[in-house]
Amino acid sequence: MSNTTQDKPEPSQQPQQQNPPVLEEDDEFEDFPVEDWDQEEAEKNSGVANDNVHLWEESWDDDDAAEDFSKQLQEELKKVEASS
Amino acid sequence: MASVFNDFKEGHKEISGPRLAASLTPVAPPEYPDRLRSFYACSNGANLHLDLRYFLFQANGPKLPKQEQNAWIEIFSAYWKAAGEILKFDEGRGSWVGVFNAWNQVSSVLGRGYTNAGIEAWTIPCLYVVGKYVRTFAIKADAELSSQDSVAFNDRFQDDISFDSEKSAKLEEAARVINKLFTICLNDRTPNIEESRKWGVYNMISLTFKTYFKLNSIGLCKSLLRALNASSADLPPLAAFPKSHIVTFEYYVGVIRFLDEDYAEAEKHLTHAWKLCHRDAVKNKELILMYLVPCHIVTTHTLPSEELLAPFPRLERLFRPLCDCIRKGDLGNFDAAMSAGEDEFVKRRIYLPLERGRDIALRNLFRKVFVVGGFEEPKDDQPPMRRTRVPVAEFAAAVRIGTHANDRTRVDIDEVECLLSNLIYKGLMKGYIARERGMVVLSKGGTAFPGTGV
Repeated sequence: MSNTTQDKPEPSQQPQQQNPPVLEEDDEFEDFPVEDWDQEEAEKNSGVANDNVHLWEESWDDDDAAEDFSKQLQEELKKVEASS
Repeated sequence: MASVFNDFKEGHKEISGPRLAASLTPVAPPEYPDRLRSFYACSNGANLHLDLRYFLFQANGPKLPKQEQNAWIEIFSAYWKAAGEILKFDEGRGSWVGVFNAWNQVSSVLGRGYTNAGIEAWTIPCLYVVGKYVRTFAIKADAELSSQDSVAFNDRFQDDISFDSEKSAKLEEAARVINKLFTICLNDRTPNIEESRKWGVYNMISLTFKTYFKLNSIGLCKSLLRALNASSADLPPLAAFPKSHIVTFEYYVGVIRFLDEDYAEAEKHLTHAWKLCHRDAVKNKELILMYLVPCHIVTTHTLPSEELLAPFPRLERLFRPLCDCIRKGDLGNFDAAMSAGEDEFVKRRIYLPLERGRDIALRNLFRKVFVVGGFEEPKDDQPPMRRTRVPVAEFAAAVRIGTHANDRTRVDIDEVECLLSNLIYKGLMKGYIARERGMVVLSKGGTAFPGTGV
């Protein structure tokens, strides 16, 4: 897309620049200190509540921002209509 | 920590592979720093075989068939020489190349012990240890060689290609040896599976993968996998192996599929690795997620939750800015976050799948248009229906928001129609564009944006 913004500093850029590359070249899978373990010690069963932790976001709804978005949309709509 | 000979004898007495393998570990433990030195002092080299026969098999040693005894003596004499190289290195007189060459010899002699002298299968942890260090020493030897090269050939013209392949000559040698040790496990024909070296298959294939990864030879990994699949009927089921073997194997298979852009298959293996991974193995869990998160974005169009990334600050830093933009439909900052992280993403080879997150960001932006569009006038006592006819101009306005367009930027309606038809084509949005009316007609009944609840 040609019209990406230039008028706003990107918040994501700053922390990236302050820190040197976060991953080493030799970032390899490590040997486990033990050969085998019980299911209770595995990631899936660790902790009582672990299985209930939501690993992936399930909802896309953002009710708080809906009203702002609606207002913004109306404003931008005027500009679209004016330019066509 | 016991002496080398003690570990050898006790390992045989207890029939413990790990204990036996400890005798072949070429690194002295902190609590016994002179372990290797005192092993080396068992002989002056003049009568090495006789000395080793005495320390390994007389004085309370294991009673083994003659042929097997001889094989162990051969293995330990190669080991004795390697120990000498390591000690020389510690004293500043040796080199990693010397250590590697000697250790390479240990690996081949050990391999012959299995194929020719009938060393029993319970001892296979010896293969793991010897294989692991042949790789370690090769990497150090290559680094040593290339640092010498850069000094010696500083002013000379060097052909880039030959330099590149020479750069990892020792590791390539190591890869061949490790591959052979893997084959020794895979091709064991012992009828009783309990006494088969096949139990070493997954551990050794993972070590080979790890070596090929370092060499950037992903293609070789795939032929190895084909060889494994071809004989999978004779193998015990994967679930019967120790979890460290399963998790490491599944991680590498997942990444191999990932690099092949087969994200659905990659996700299966990585999820399996994730679930079985030891909960305290933070580094490994982080690496699994490094590839699992992009897979998940591509296959199921969902983002990692805060709980998932919270224990991994590096991943949080790598993925969070992108995920926030995807969720909000913020195309402008998505592009900025992609280019800010580009070097890192390219290095980890996750750039391509992450880039596909832009479609999800766009989908979310358009979904918001649909959601704020509200509902149709209710008809009779029907449940309320969302407004499914949405002017293209509203999506154009949303694109202006998503790209932070200023008053001078023009958003082209054709371009917006193109974005819309792309999303429809990719199944992220269901409906069609009625061009003559400048309308998008979206699917009714909660399927306009599949999988998102509306």
